[in-house]
Amino acid sequence: MKFQLIFPKWRKLEGQTVFNLPPHGAIVFAATIPADFEVEFIDENLEEMRYDDTVDFVGISMLLTTQIKRGWAIADEYRKRGKKVIFGGISTMLHAEETMLHADSIFLGEAEGHMDQVFKDFKKGELKKVYNFMNDLPPIETIGPARRELYKRDLYYHKGVQMVDTFHASRGCKYSCYPCAVSYLGGRNFRPRPVHKVVEELATIDNNRLFIVDNSLAQDTEWEKELFKAMIPFKKKWCSHTIEDKHEVLDLAAQAGAWYVYQAVFDTSDYIKERVKRYHDYGIGVEGTILLGLDDQTEDDIKRLIDFLLEINLDLAEFTVLAPFPHTKAYVDLVKQNRIFNKNWDDYNAGQVVYHPKHMSAERLQELYQYAWDTFYKDETQEEKMFKLLKKVVSREVEDGTFRKRRQDLSKVSFGKLINPKIV
Amino acid sequence: MENKYQDQVYHFKGLWDLPSICGLKIIKKAETSIIIATDLYDNNPGTSITEWNTKLAWELCNKFELNPENLIFIEHTPNKETKLEFNRETFFKVNFTIENGSFVNPVWNQLTNDEVDKLISE
Repeated sequence: MKFQLIFPKWRKLEGQTVFNLPPHGAIVFAATIPADFEVEFIDENLEEMRYDDTVDFVGISMLLTTQIKRGWAIADEYRKRGKKVIFGGISTMLHAEETMLHADSIFLGEAEGHMDQVFKDFKKGELKKVYNFMNDLPPIETIGPARRELYKRDLYYHKGVQMVDTFHASRGCKYSCYPCAVSYLGGRNFRPRPVHKVVEELATIDNNRLFIVDNSLAQDTEWEKELFKAMIPFKKKWCSHTIEDKHEVLDLAAQAGAWYVYQAVFDTSDYIKERVKRYHDYGIGVEGTILLGLDDQTEDDIKRLIDFLLEINLDLAEFTVLAPFPHTKAYVDLVKQNRIFNKNWDDYNAGQVVYHPKHMSAERLQELYQYAWDTFYKDETQEEKMFKLLKKVVSREVEDGTFRKRRQDLSKVSFGKLINPKIV
Repeated sequence: MENKYQDQVYHFKGLWDLPSICGLKIIKKAETSIIIATDLYDNNPGTSITEWNTKLAWELCNKFELNPENLIFIEHTPNKETKLEFNRETFFKVNFTIENGSFVNPVWNQLTNDEVDKLISE
């Protein structure tokens, strides 16, 4: 039987360099599908939908809130054709009740250990409306390697350069940050994968560059050090969300191939300045993530913050505006205060203001968001700064013999599309 | 308990049956009852009181034999003692409509600490 697994497209933010990374959650989920089902994966960001292909069962994997309306539309098309559709993934959990209106079934929770039953129910024609395993998370050691063979690999190249592979070493998060829904999704527990399981998966990844997608690796120093030690022999280069800035951790991270890390920059303190410097001291780049529009930010604060970013030599910066995703403290606060004016989930892309900020109008915050991008990248564009980071990693790869030449056959292709058909 | 707005930790099943907790203080008066439910963000593994307030308030009325017609329901967010404005203490009185044996349509109105103290002591 054939299972069509779909990752819906979404509208990309204007003016930003588009990079389509291979989606992670969908292929991790695919590893739990019973072997008697043939699986085809469609990443709609890179491929057209083909509703009339012969399929038995359809799965829609949803990561982002801005993706869900498209996911619902796809489901509606398949259901018109009599196909059964199941939804899963992070934004399915965030928008479960609404998603049920477009689904034969929704799966809430983590898939490991539960899919044999779901697929058995499908075969018997007894699919349940809801599979709720929110409070029954699988043992972390049962998470196996993702099914990367499902990717249509050639689509994840830009001008012959392969995109990083996405990968995870842990789930959950012990923190409960204001704009984040991770504690709702996975409980407030950091669940690191056993390092030998991480190593087993790393050995299956045919890519010298990775993006470790974990919420934060900076939650258990001993595990973090053990992880980095185990990664050293693979000689892969990687970026990740934040890591601890203790010297012994940074030293191991650098040896393990840390390329650059994301660092939330929320104020203009020496703490941030020193932290960025410490990363740089170990040859690790820093991409600042800057959230605009919190209640304690005035217009002057935002402008000061942007000046500060230029002072501390960030390699890259990514600006977002607060998006009140359901089941976050940000959401419940703004609901109580009746400050959310836009409930169109397509616009919850962290680039569009959907609520009334405390110290300025929504329009002014939108302007400041644009001002932040324009000011930070005034002297050097985002692409130029990215290229600088890329050059650094290439020189490290050349040194340790892991550099892969760009694929000539894809040099005029970007994510499956010809860049300039007249030249080719 | 140090918190004057909380006498106990109340356990409830939240959204999708998630085990959830909140702080709870109930003040019974001759005519009305006041429930102060405190959101315990840092320790609550489940649903926030704001997202579950209609069901939580109804459950509390049943459990503690309170008249839903004469209920004042207050959502309390304790001060997290950080410099961040969104971590400050807040109180919201929530007005519900009663429909078919349940609360619906929550509407929030912010109260000051003084207003809450006055309500309690009246």
